[in-house]
Amino acid sequence: MAIETPRISYTGSIRPITLGAGDKSVTVGGETSYPFYLFEGAMPNPPRIAMEVYDAPPADWPDEAVAPFKDVLNDPVAWAKKCINDYGAEMICLQLASTDPNDANRSAEEAAQTVKQVAEAANVPLIVWGSGNVEKDTEVLRTVAEVCQGKHLILGPLVEGNYKKIGAAAMAYKHTIIASTPLDINLAKQLNILMGNLGVSESELIMDPLVSSIGYGIEYVYSVMERIRMAALTQQDEKLQFPLICNIARETWKTKEAKVAEAEDPKLGDTAKRGIMLEAMSSMVLLVAGADILIMRHPEAIKLIREMISDLTN
Amino acid sequence: MIWCVPDNGIRRLVLFAYAERQMNRFMGVKKYKVVFKPDDVAVDVEDGDNLLELARKAGVALTASCGGDGVCGTCKVLIEKGETESLPGMQLDPGEVAMGLRLACQCLVRGDLVVIVPETSRMATGGGRRALATAEELMAVTGWTHAPPISKVYLELVPPTLEDNSSDLTRLERELAKHNIDDYRVELGFLRKLPHVVREGGWKVTITVLREPSGSRLTRIEPGDTRNRLFGLAFDIGTTGVRGELLDLNEGKVLSRGVEYNGQRIYGDDVISRIAYSGKPDGMAKLQQAVVATMNRIIAEMTQRAQVPAGDLSYLTVAANTTMIQLFLGIDPKYLRLAPYVPSAGVLPMFPVRALGIDVPEHVYGYTIPSVASYVGGDIVSGLVGTGIYQRQETVLYIDIGTNGETVVGNADWMVSASCSAGPAFEGGGISCGMLATEGAIEGFHYDPKIKQPTLTTIGGAKPRGICGAGLIDIVSGLLTAGIINQKGKFQSESDPRVRSGVEGLEYLLTPAGETDINKDIVITEIDIENLIRAKAAMYAGYQTLLKSVGLTFQDLDKVIIAGTFGSHLDIEEAITIGLMPDIDRNKFFFIGNGSLLGARLSSFSSELIEAGRRVARMVTNIELSENGDFMSHYIASMFLPHTDSSLFPEASRRLMELSKGGIH
Repeated sequence: MAIETPRISYTGSIRPITLGAGDKSVTVGGETSYPFYLFEGAMPNPPRIAMEVYDAPPADWPDEAVAPFKDVLNDPVAWAKKCINDYGAEMICLQLASTDPNDANRSAEEAAQTVKQVAEAANVPLIVWGSGNVEKDTEVLRTVAEVCQGKHLILGPLVEGNYKKIGAAAMAYKHTIIASTPLDINLAKQLNILMGNLGVSESELIMDPLVSSIGYGIEYVYSVMERIRMAALTQQDEKLQFPLICNIARETWKTKEAKVAEAEDPKLGDTAKRGIMLEAMSSMVLLVAGADILIMRHPEAIKLIREMISDLTN
Repeated sequence: MIWCVPDNGIRRLVLFAYAERQMNRFMGVKKYKVVFKPDDVAVDVEDGDNLLELARKAGVALTASCGGDGVCGTCKVLIEKGETESLPGMQLDPGEVAMGLRLACQCLVRGDLVVIVPETSRMATGGGRRALATAEELMAVTGWTHAPPISKVYLELVPPTLEDNSSDLTRLERELAKHNIDDYRVELGFLRKLPHVVREGGWKVTITVLREPSGSRLTRIEPGDTRNRLFGLAFDIGTTGVRGELLDLNEGKVLSRGVEYNGQRIYGDDVISRIAYSGKPDGMAKLQQAVVATMNRIIAEMTQRAQVPAGDLSYLTVAANTTMIQLFLGIDPKYLRLAPYVPSAGVLPMFPVRALGIDVPEHVYGYTIPSVASYVGGDIVSGLVGTGIYQRQETVLYIDIGTNGETVVGNADWMVSASCSAGPAFEGGGISCGMLATEGAIEGFHYDPKIKQPTLTTIGGAKPRGICGAGLIDIVSGLLTAGIINQKGKFQSESDPRVRSGVEGLEYLLTPAGETDINKDIVITEIDIENLIRAKAAMYAGYQTLLKSVGLTFQDLDKVIIAGTFGSHLDIEEAITIGLMPDIDRNKFFFIGNGSLLGARLSSFSSELIEAGRRVARMVTNIELSENGDFMSHYIASMFLPHTDSSLFPEASRRLMELSKGGIH
């Protein structure tokens, strides 16, 4: 007797969004089914990985994370080039951690110059991620938007407290923006509505659901991302039909599981492998939940994820 | 603060005005007729009456932003026919005067009049849209007979002689038997009075009889015939506000009303914090005394205004949520908030009121309307009885907009209830310039985009003193449609001349200090707006979850009955615009004002309704929203104006969209 496979009927699709400019631009989104459900729909643009570059040498990374980049930590431009040339990065995410008032509090102008240099050196799409400080990000990202006019950057995170000012600058200088909300489908939708009201084009918006590492509440992240995709694909919720970006590397590498030395706690096993595995596995969970862009750090973890994406999409 | 008579100065003015009117009446004052158009309302007036006051009494909605001082020029009317005496107002130019325009507040009647109220002078009820005035009579329960649970019988006893030497009480019994009262209870206090009163009255006495479920009780004996003096009190003890009515139980009417903030407020804003406080040393006693003190102040004010001595009161009906009832009676409310959340008693016996500290004589007995569950109290049962939902076949959603956000859906055959904590915003609590819906509270807001200025209306037309719940709804809706706040309730038009930076962040100036009655700027802050959004989100999520749990949609409802004490009217369009009310056929909505007090009053007039209350309380099934996974998600989705899911608010969203398109350039 023939068994009929149950099928989900999809009524919506994710908007394809083109990031960056020129021949190295990248398109994400466009899915017409749940992630990797190629037997039910299409995934015309496979998920992409953006490699991290920091605007100042990071102080608290475990050795394993530092090793691949130890010759370029002081130079964001060289770092970005290394990611592209040595590790085949399709996108770069420049983390402006040093602009945080609780960190080095670098000025908006300095940050914008760094971004400009990286943007000119790297021909791939460039994500510029602020420090997360609502007021400082407003100042920094507005300046970045202006200084890097025409580069079609991806600027984030924009939150309820600063979306208007950064959004207006991004629209004026033609950049893509990342709408960031704290783990809630309704809050995510509300911010997207506000973006629409502000006049942000639907082809210049991607969503950050806020993510965390395995062991630090990733189940909750998974459930929120899954609900966003269900609403977008099966409930025609137009305000949620945007690609999802996940800034996951910094979440995994700051955990004690990635940092504690094997000598200190032998039960945890090989330190060198541990951080990579945690980054790769957390990233995989997010891919299955619906991530379109992963911001990753370690070349080995990235290699693993690329293989998995390739396996699942071919 | 007691409504109507804020201080002694005004009280004196009122007395003077009253004395003057009485004198004029005695001297034979000329009487005229005034017709207001286009309402076609006619009123009988006396020579020299003020036109604005007349309009208000006649229910003609006339704006007067300044409260009738002749400075704002908003109460312009056209005198089509007749003679007036008018002070030369600064707000009218000679051309307008020649046309027959006058400021109603500066206009005294000197003959029969026909007055046209132009659209621009109409109260800001939302540009000609349907504003729901309180219409409890439209929805009130029907088919009951007037038979209060307390009544008086007049008896003429046969005086004793040496031959017929049976006791005073036996003589009383013989006469009572003739009125079919043969099984009754008496208190020792009654017997102590008996020998003196029968002789003082020359063996003619009036007995007050309380009908309890278990039989009759003789509560009072008075000399002579006092049957025409039978008075009672009805109270709604809200978590935030306490409201009372003094009732003539013979006539079935209200003699006076009073309202005050609940004195327990200083111990916590909501029932949970009150219950927590009651567990502290002396906490229970302090809470009990606080609410009793509030009630005593209201009783004193009402008895004085109605000219009924407290000694003539016979009966008290209280409707309140379960926590308020238990705190009032001194029953530990601790277990109300511990799973599985059961109250100490649903139906309570009638009780002597004085023992609780209420300033009434010993003979006054009280009754509390029974509750359904810990968080669905007698106030809701009272509203269900008062509006007669339990008699109707049509499916009704009953919404009590207040601190505890209770809702009930059902009809004569079934009812399901739920409650959610909305917080005190609808009664002005937690709002920087918030107040109860009393005289001077801003309750209407109409924004004119052309001049970028709002027009405000207050309860009673007085100078503004603060913002009540209805005003809050109107203001937030108005600021949203004007594009001054965004759908999250945050100010986005910082260039508006009235948006400024205040102590709590951005705020919108409603009335500058000089035009208020409190000599302080009246503003609405971003935090106030957020509090209102939380409150409305809880309400909407509450009844959305309730309907879903019984498998109904908003379209299945025949009527939506709204109860609440947040204002004298509810502009339904504004309430839908902010997402407080569902976006369905506007004609399905009815606003009844204080449903709890309505039921308490009617239950004082008829034992049948007391019995109905017991039936309703047994009939309602309660669902716990705190145990419901959907509620939290619905709540967050509702924290948006009007709602995150715009398909739930098609009309309101369409209107907002049109306005925003029109407002961009």
